[in-house]
Amino acid sequence: MTFASWLALVIAIVVAAEAVRWLRHRALAHEHWRRFFRHPTAAWGCGILTFLVIIAIAAPLVAPLDPVVQPDPVRLQNHPPSLTFLMGTDVFSRDVWSRFAYGARISLGIGALGAFIAVALGSLVGAVAGYYRRWVDGMLMRLVDIGLALPRIFILLMAVALWDRLPFAWLAFVIGLTSWFGTSRLVRAEVLGLREREFVVAARALGARSSRVIFGHVLPNAAAPIIVSAALSVGNVLLLEASLSFLGIGVAPPRPSWGNMIADGALSLYTAPWTTLFAGLAISLVVMSLNAVADGLRDALDPREESS
Amino acid sequence: MLTAMPRRYELLSILLIVAALGACERRKLCTAPDCGTLVDAAIGEPGTLLPASTEDITARDVAEQLFLKLADVGMSLNTVGDEDFQPVLAQRWEWDGPSTLVFHIDPRARWHDGQPVTAVDVAFTFDAYTDSAVASPFRAQLRRISSVTARDSLTAVFRFRERYPEMFYDAVYHMRVLPAHLLRSVPRDQWRTAPFGRQPIGDGPYRFVSWQAGQAIELQSDTTFFLGRPGIRRWILRFPPDPGVAVTQLVADQADVREQLITPELIERARGAQQVKLYPYPGNTYTYVSFNLRANGDTAKPHPIFSEREVRRALTMAVDRASLVKSTLGDVGRVPPGPMSSLLWIWDPEIRQLPYDTTQASRHLNARGWRDHDSDGVRDRDGQPLTFRVVVPSTSQLRRQYARLLQEQFRRIGVQVEIDELDPRALTQRLVSGNFDAAILSRSNDPSPSSGISQTWTSAGIGGSNYGRYSSPEFDRLVDRAISAQSRDQSKQLWRAAIETINADAPAIFLYALGNVAGIHNRVDNVQIRPDSWASLLRTWRIPHDRQIDRDRVER
Amino acid sequence: MMAWLLRRLVASVAIIFAVVTFVFVLIHLAPGEPCFAGGENFTDPEICRLLVRQFGLDQPILVQYWRYLVELVRGNLGYSFALHRPVGDAIADTVPFTLQLAGTALLLDFTLGLGLGIYQALRANRLPDVVLGNVTLFVYSLPTFWLALILLFLFGEKLRLFPVGGASDPILCPTVDSLYCLVDRIWHLVLPAATLGLVGAAGTARFQRAAMLEIAQQDFVRTARAKGLPEPRVVLRHQLRNALLSSITRFGLTFPFLLTGAVLVETIFALPGMGRLTVDAILQRDYAVVTATALIASAMVVTGSLIADILLALADPRIRVHEDAALDIVTA
Repeated sequence: MTFASWLALVIAIVVAAEAVRWLRHRALAHEHWRRFFRHPTAAWGCGILTFLVIIAIAAPLVAPLDPVVQPDPVRLQNHPPSLTFLMGTDVFSRDVWSRFAYGARISLGIGALGAFIAVALGSLVGAVAGYYRRWVDGMLMRLVDIGLALPRIFILLMAVALWDRLPFAWLAFVIGLTSWFGTSRLVRAEVLGLREREFVVAARALGARSSRVIFGHVLPNAAAPIIVSAALSVGNVLLLEASLSFLGIGVAPPRPSWGNMIADGALSLYTAPWTTLFAGLAISLVVMSLNAVADGLRDALDPREESS
Repeated sequence: MLTAMPRRYELLSILLIVAALGACERRKLCTAPDCGTLVDAAIGEPGTLLPASTEDITARDVAEQLFLKLADVGMSLNTVGDEDFQPVLAQRWEWDGPSTLVFHIDPRARWHDGQPVTAVDVAFTFDAYTDSAVASPFRAQLRRISSVTARDSLTAVFRFRERYPEMFYDAVYHMRVLPAHLLRSVPRDQWRTAPFGRQPIGDGPYRFVSWQAGQAIELQSDTTFFLGRPGIRRWILRFPPDPGVAVTQLVADQADVREQLITPELIERARGAQQVKLYPYPGNTYTYVSFNLRANGDTAKPHPIFSEREVRRALTMAVDRASLVKSTLGDVGRVPPGPMSSLLWIWDPEIRQLPYDTTQASRHLNARGWRDHDSDGVRDRDGQPLTFRVVVPSTSQLRRQYARLLQEQFRRIGVQVEIDELDPRALTQRLVSGNFDAAILSRSNDPSPSSGISQTWTSAGIGGSNYGRYSSPEFDRLVDRAISAQSRDQSKQLWRAAIETINADAPAIFLYALGNVAGIHNRVDNVQIRPDSWASLLRTWRIPHDRQIDRDRVER
Repeated sequence: MMAWLLRRLVASVAIIFAVVTFVFVLIHLAPGEPCFAGGENFTDPEICRLLVRQFGLDQPILVQYWRYLVELVRGNLGYSFALHRPVGDAIADTVPFTLQLAGTALLLDFTLGLGLGIYQALRANRLPDVVLGNVTLFVYSLPTFWLALILLFLFGEKLRLFPVGGASDPILCPTVDSLYCLVDRIWHLVLPAATLGLVGAAGTARFQRAAMLEIAQQDFVRTARAKGLPEPRVVLRHQLRNALLSSITRFGLTFPFLLTGAVLVETIFALPGMGRLTVDAILQRDYAVVTATALIASAMVVTGSLIADILLALADPRIRVHEDAALDIVTA
């Protein structure tokens, strides 16, 4: 770790903490956000996520070394954490902290992209099904049933293993394509309830086009389950990417991702546990934070909830 | 409430008693002198146990116990002449003319179904091994034998096309005698998938008991084996998914043998377990990066990168082989002077090889037009970047590790490498059809260079294990002359010239030759390991009565 | 009710059919040769051609599909290239192990999870609830394969309490023929079942707690309390019964996901189950096995869903009346 990267790390921590404090301050004004921050875990979750996102974005600043470089595979192998190597070195003498920071970019990036695709697709299908009902609903929901019946990890394995030259963005895409079914059911349920509300009826009476009604009125009001779903989806996609990388078919080396860091570190689990520990902890923390945030959001956005 | 409690406790106590009884169940105990169970944490699960159809290491280990060769090479591994060979299936032999070898089969030899082993089996075996429908990987090694016939039921006659020092070795080493009466009816092109390969019947010191797919193969000793009852009654092979788990099993006293501990880290772990004893022995494998000299997917066209000798030489010079070996294997591996393991007598550090010299490598690449014109860190020529994909088997931790190390070595001189980790079967398919750029492969050596090296590196091996399709008439000629050379010195010189030729042509980068360390439970006595095939002398191992443990005493 | 059931059955069969078709198409879209003689040095393209002709792999895809369906009706699931045996046999061998693992994990999941969830709901917002809430949140977020590695390391290698992988002791107990062997099997299952079960239990606990607290807000429970009914009665008769409904439906849906989601755990603990069989088959391009396991897995998901719906319909009269009601149990 160089002086510059220490500085950057400290700044990242401070910024994350400040951001959370600022959010809390702002939240006092709104009922919804007060309910959100009533969960102490939600605040911590926010903080951890913010910190990791900052690390991911500022990876070149925070990481002293190129994550791919192997400085000295003979003498610098498997060193435990120290002041020079914050998280130690792995079996190829690469700096684990640098790989962690760049890996955050890739893992969180795939998580966000995959979740975005899943939620967008799911919301669209769910909204259309719930709004139009009848045969459109029936057909789409049968499709969703098929999707839910598909063993997801098998489909993913097949897609990734059979086409073994998939570019990296496609991984997120494919994961997203197989993860939207649950969201669509949630959104559909919400839309079914919403479509009888006055503002929708009014909009239709005024002659607004269906698509306008869906996108302009229904979906915005169905935002609550969509947002919660999005938060949970990111965690799911992250875990899926980690599983695929562990099986050797996720993100290809030498690019680091938290998943393939665990896979690489499993080689020396008994002698150098830090190589898997940090990546595994990171994934757990992110998923945990997302779940905590989702809990808080559920509370905050649900008008029917009185207390927790 | 008061009446409910005792009932609950009654039930609980009944359950406890039953559980205790179950746990303390007495089993019948074995009292014979050869009681013993050896659990082997094997390297991988074989596909078939039919010796003619497979080169798989575990299949070979099992075949060593089930099927006999006519004679076996001695501990000295001298493959010249016939003095150092031990009679096995053949009781004795003699030369009947300059190119005719006559074997007399031991009349006591029996197949496990009771039938006697005869010369007809030997003739049948040769016919099958050399039949193109069987497509045996050993076919090429038998090409100097013109025929094998049965003069009578116990006499087999081998006729050779020419005279050369290793005639006897070729006659006995590559083939395991198969039961004609059981395999005659199996269509030759279905040998690989034949049920016999899943339930073999042999004539060796052990007989096959069962094979639970994915779990274990069990063998039991044949107490009437004519060369002496094996010392350990049962041999069970388990298939841990990777070397780490295998060593974990060994350390936790759930396995007794691991033939190769491979990395220094695993060796240290095994050393730390007090019931495990380490047995180092010369390794018989070497690992290399094979360049595909023909185009990926089209064997008619030359490969855009690897067909140029200068480029291959440059790539070889860019790899610091010594450091990589030190990093991954410490003292357990060595950099080979060519395509050989430390087992072979032709091993000579003086053999000329390409040095590690990144400056020269860079210069060579520049000279061939590979420069970084667009400053993206990767060299290119005519708009094409210098990038290729290397395939490794997903099951080999060590080769996967090497792939990543090599990726970095090549990156430093501006070559971009992508790694494909494939299942071994998928990998084999790609190799055979030529759908690869480069591959990291391992081969195990026979005790003589004449079989292994010619099989993999001469033109005769194209379509076989010469996946890179390297063809050099000069190399072929030198190898042929080395095999036929009449004196050991002459042979050594010719081999040296041959190896230097192949090193200069650089069709592959010879990465490491593994030195083997086996981890064996310290209660096993008289452990003899022949380096070319560690399990070949398993029947001489013993477990003394006073050192037996639970699993040895089980009678099933 | 019968009409609804019949409709659901027909829909279920149609779904399974659709899944198999999808998997079939996906496999045949993938690049790569369908044939190679399962392993070892395969030197002769002639043999490959023979095998292709033998299994009809060079026919147009529709013909292959039709043949597959015909064979399926006859009960023939195909032949596995990699394992050298009929697919049906290979899968039948793995089913007991997968069922044992899934069953044990499910048992742990629901006993621990329900217990914790109920306990947490009863002590809502007090210290035990807060602590347990954070613990379950953490455990729920762990990647299962990471937990598996750590448990294997801690309890298998370091503490030597449990065996490191394998389904049973191959020497003493190749088959379960005595109480000792039964105990041995269970002992081998502890770590893998714990891995799946703990993470599942954390999820179940969270879900059950939320469900119970939601019910607690409802009028009928408040009324019962206001009426002065003893607390255990309120909890058992009203809260629990209703909250249990949601858990029952979750149960119906979790089981099949345990089967397919146990893939990584089976690999790490070397259990010869269906998940591992499928992963190996996909990586080895053993198409017959992949299609067959997709068929079985989807059949189980659909059956689980159907059973869950039936249980729910039986238990909750409201749903029987409104067939179309939102049976949207969120499957994470």
